[in-house]
Amino acid sequence: MSARERRAVLATGLIAGLALTASVSSCGAPQNDAKQAVLQIGAIPDQNPEKLNRLYGTLTTELSEKLDVPVRYAPVSNYAAAVSAFRTGSLDLVWFGGLTGVQARLQTPGARVLAQRDIDAEFTSVFIANGASGLRPFTSADQLVELKGRRLAFGSESSTSGRLMPQFFMGENGVKPEDMAGGGPGFSGSHDATVAVVQSGAYEVGALNEQVWRSNVADGRVDPGKVSVIWRTPPYVDYHWVVRPGLDDRFGDGFTDKLQSALLDLSADTENGATILELFGAERFIPAKDEDYVMIETVGRQLGKIR
Amino acid sequence: MALRISLKPALPLIPLLPGLSLLGVLGVLLRDGHGGGISVLQQFAAGAVQPSIDPIVLGSLLKGLQITLVIAVMSWGISSVLGVGLGLLSSSTFWEIQAGVRWPAVILRRWLAPLRAVHELIWGLLLLQVFGLNGWVAICAIAIPFTVLMARVIADQVDCHVSPAIPVLKGAGATPWAVMLTGLVPPLAEPISDHIGHRLDCAVRSALILGVFGLGGLGTDLSLSLRSLQFQELWSGLWMLAIAMVVLDRLLRTLRSWSRMLILPVAMASPWVALGWGTQLDLQLAWPVAEWSMVVGNLIDGSQGFNAALEISWPGVIRATVWITLIAGCVATGLPPLLLLVWPSQASLHLQGVVWGALRLIPAPLTALLLLMLAKPSLSLAGLALGLHHGGVMGRVLIDDIRSTGLGSAQTMKACGAPNRVSWLYGPLADVSRAYLTYATYRLDVILRDTAIIGMVGGAGLGWQLMEALSSFHWWLVLWIVLISAVLTLLGESLGERLQGSWNSRAMAL
Repeated sequence: MSARERRAVLATGLIAGLALTASVSSCGAPQNDAKQAVLQIGAIPDQNPEKLNRLYGTLTTELSEKLDVPVRYAPVSNYAAAVSAFRTGSLDLVWFGGLTGVQARLQTPGARVLAQRDIDAEFTSVFIANGASGLRPFTSADQLVELKGRRLAFGSESSTSGRLMPQFFMGENGVKPEDMAGGGPGFSGSHDATVAVVQSGAYEVGALNEQVWRSNVADGRVDPGKVSVIWRTPPYVDYHWVVRPGLDDRFGDGFTDKLQSALLDLSADTENGATILELFGAERFIPAKDEDYVMIETVGRQLGKIR
Repeated sequence: MALRISLKPALPLIPLLPGLSLLGVLGVLLRDGHGGGISVLQQFAAGAVQPSIDPIVLGSLLKGLQITLVIAVMSWGISSVLGVGLGLLSSSTFWEIQAGVRWPAVILRRWLAPLRAVHELIWGLLLLQVFGLNGWVAICAIAIPFTVLMARVIADQVDCHVSPAIPVLKGAGATPWAVMLTGLVPPLAEPISDHIGHRLDCAVRSALILGVFGLGGLGTDLSLSLRSLQFQELWSGLWMLAIAMVVLDRLLRTLRSWSRMLILPVAMASPWVALGWGTQLDLQLAWPVAEWSMVVGNLIDGSQGFNAALEISWPGVIRATVWITLIAGCVATGLPPLLLLVWPSQASLHLQGVVWGALRLIPAPLTALLLLMLAKPSLSLAGLALGLHHGGVMGRVLIDDIRSTGLGSAQTMKACGAPNRVSWLYGPLADVSRAYLTYATYRLDVILRDTAIIGMVGGAGLGWQLMEALSSFHWWLVLWIVLISAVLTLLGESLGERLQGSWNSRAMAL
């Protein structure tokens, strides 16, 4: 047997041994199927990983301590995937946007809204424009007709503040998506990317979450000479915590109410509470009800995002 | 007597022809150029040399990388084993040896084709609806189309490597299985092993895209960093991915240098190794429970079905999809041979390898965003973004082919006095042209399916419509779009087969 053949035989033997060991050890290893005992939380993807990991790392610790149950955070990077994961029971408690929260509740009978941030009760979007577009700040909503024939960028297709509500207000003032240059709007994928594509001049106008716009301005990522706000939408309700039904059966009577209290009790006075609220960009969480989101549902149905 | 001569370009020139599309794309870029996003490009470039070293970021990326690798290795192993089996079953030669007929192969091939026409991403989303957030969803989402694609390639290989010994063996009264083992397997083993090795690289990239979509792993982190334009974090992930891909590549090369056949036991063993590894990670690998009610319940209400089909203006959407695919296909196919001829030397092959590696590494949505920093959105820009990414794959195929064929022909021509460029064109490039073009036709399918991930550049094409329908949970429309995409893919495939025929290119070792 040549040296090469010997090596090949040796490698085959090693591979077979490794596979055998791995499969035996995987049979003995505990499976991660602890869905019954672990509270699975998730969030729609709207922040950077460093922030998300810090935020949900702290939140899982806090909730786990307060509720005395293991809590696990599962990152999801797609809005529709978050809704589906909630419906199929892979996630128990999810931080949803306005539209995705309604979609999730409609698909999961018995799910309910637990809480929202203080800023979510009166949330707004802004329309921003590149200086070269010649668009100047609007004084009234009917000036939105000036957007016809422009290159316009929304954020993600399921975003309430980056697509749904801006499109609704445009529609209210007679501007349809097909009126845009190129036959329709573009979708940058996120609020931050919307700022970048409008600032660069690739798109003339963009619509995004005002909170993200403000943080971009505060971080110096916006060049005021190139891009500015031309219109702010009227307020609407947005982000909220939605919880699956049946948690009381799994974790004990009154668990869902305890979970709600744990969220509402977060305060800047404790170290964890301060970190969580700061990363959420809020002063506190406030109670919210399913009925608060009726308007979002109506708009969602009108624009075909809810069937 | 009239002499009919049809003018055909020389074979090595055909791979260069698609490169002409670059002129058109360049024209569009010049017309639409704005250059207003140079500062973002600078930040992106700065991120490459100064990636984030935040321990939280690195920890999360490392965990994500392991999940991505487990998903990739597992789906690669499963699809390789099943793909070889199904490939054999869908080859005419197999049935001819076994039963003396061909039709079962044709039926199986036609039956498998629609499974191939649906993108991993869409498989992921559809399976997610039924099985929830689970590691198996990602694994199956990659394994299903990969298995069927592998089966197609294997069947092509089997049918074009028919040994003249087969009829002799049959005539001598050998049993069908003995004929296969002695007449079919030996010439096939090496090309099949090479192709299986190549698919691992593809599986890693697919696992990454599924992560981008939300099924966990490094892709999730990369996607979140990209959306928040955190280029330093993004580069930490990209560098980590680059290192992992280089290490995997080296491992495969080393294995191949010991014996090209070793890849087969590795592929068979890999799902078990990955399973053992996966149980140590934060990855749900318990067998999922199916919940069909949501999807099926919506589809049972058939009254919406017809109306849903009328919601999209199909001609426009199909035109946009085909246009993006064509541009991307031309850029991806034309760019590697062009670069090879611009700088034809053995030393430059290494550098070109790095360029193609970088293009493969950068996900297409990121390429699209970077291009938007330079030019206004257009279908050509979307095509260019996809084309550059797939050019990375084609470039690798070209260089690998040239390396394995050797540079002897170029040296001979040079020795005869041919200029350097001409000797590369009619030497190594001519040697590998057929295999390269065959691969390009396979690639066209993948590009068509990949239009799903480009929504940023104007929200055009079937892929984008599908994402919109999925995010609205509009199942009837999803069904229509998947059907139309499948038909387009199959049409593209038969066109590809005709092209292969006209180039007289057999399916070769890929």
